Amino acid sequence: MSDCKIRRPQLVRHARYRCDEMRRQHQIVFPESLLELNETGAAIVQRCDGRKTEELIADLRRQFPDQETDDVHEFLGRLLQRGLLCDADES
Amino acid sequence: MPTKARPLALLAELTYRCPLKCPYCSNPLQLARYNRELDTDTWKRVLAEAALLGVVHVHFSGGEPLVRHDLAELVREARQLDLYSNLSTGAMLADVATLTQLRESGLDALQVSLLDARASGNDHLAGMASFEKKRQAVEIGRQLEFPITLNVVLHRHNLDHLEEIIRLACEWRVHKLELAHTQYVGWAFRNRHSLLPSREQVQRAAEIVTGARRRLEGQLEILHVMPDYFQEFPKACLHGWGNAYLTVAPDGAVLPCQAAREIPGLEFKNVQEDSLESIWFDSPVFNRFRGTQWMPEPCRSCDRKEIDFGGCRCQAYLLTGDVAATDPVCHLSPQHDLVTAARIEEKGLEAKGPEADRRDEQFAYRTFSS
Repeated sequence: MSDCKIRRPQLVRHARYRCDEMRRQHQIVFPESLLELNETGAAIVQRCDGRKTEELIADLRRQFPDQETDDVHEFLGRLLQRGLLCDADES
Repeated sequence: MPTKARPLALLAELTYRCPLKCPYCSNPLQLARYNRELDTDTWKRVLAEAALLGVVHVHFSGGEPLVRHDLAELVREARQLDLYSNLSTGAMLADVATLTQLRESGLDALQVSLLDARASGNDHLAGMASFEKKRQAVEIGRQLEFPITLNVVLHRHNLDHLEEIIRLACEWRVHKLELAHTQYVGWAFRNRHSLLPSREQVQRAAEIVTGARRRLEGQLEILHVMPDYFQEFPKACLHGWGNAYLTVAPDGAVLPCQAAREIPGLEFKNVQEDSLESIWFDSPVFNRFRGTQWMPEPCRSCDRKEIDFGGCRCQAYLLTGDVAATDPVCHLSPQHDLVTAARIEEKGLEAKGPEADRRDEQFAYRTFSS
């Protein structure tokens, strides 16, 4: 499921958030690939440090007050599916 | 044609030296001509210039990059520059101490080559015993929590062991298995006669990969690079010449493609004389096959010209003698018969039966002395 609930999202060890100043782009880089992120995506990924998903969303709302919870879950689900996120509880 | 595109990946070929002798090596045939390697400081400058130019991924490769004693220092430099670093190794020198030091220096990912699922086949192809070293390197890499890709180049001598190769990748618990059919340039072109598979082998491989992908979803990622000799259209080589990739060779020559230095008449600039930025944007060799203006017919009026970019320049040169020709693997190429002929030759040899077939004894192993 793309909207599976992840308790404490964090980037897997081989994936890194990166701000590409040359291209003015937020990215997740991983072997032989990169994923371009929009502003919201970048804000979410920068908070994927093992804190609880609810805390992440609450904190995110300080920057993006209108952010829908479902959209965040869906985004996290997509990253999880791509193998870029893990659950800090399980690692 | 000038470009605004910036390279995403740098292939840093630190050395052409390598203990292995793989008969499909992508290094040049005239290895001894390029034996003066850049020093550490120059490589550090290259990395810094690459980062400024927009490079995100740096692939430390070779030859065998582990023969360079400054590899950890270069990895550290790459990390400081926020480059994502990858090491491609044949594993002969990949011991615990070395890989641990590289991990601590900030190396992000590891690629280990494997020639066959069977030790005997692997060692025969590599020209020396190396299977056990590869198995150990994967194990060490896994303990160090590297994401590991197992790279297997496919050809007639290992295609029938594909199921075993996939099983081994699962057993060794690598993250990704790259199954790349041989590209017939460099040493592989010289050994094409011995390496070219049959159409049946190629088709069976595709079926096996499809099945394995379904079975192993979420467990093992499988990348399958198809053999262009058996396809209708050429591959989108490099995603376009001078578009996303660049290679710096051991002696500092900057190449659009690692195999391109064997094309006569192309003059490659060197990082010892020019900056990476000026070479990327302004050198004639990088601009020569950018865009679509350079294309001959049938490419020029083809719908696919922005999809496959006319195919591979190195292959066009090797097969036709004209670097600007349509890649002859394309069925629309007026010189497609050059590829058909190679397939027909293979079929003829196959028909003679295994008794008369001496193709696995006829490798020209990679060597510095040729």
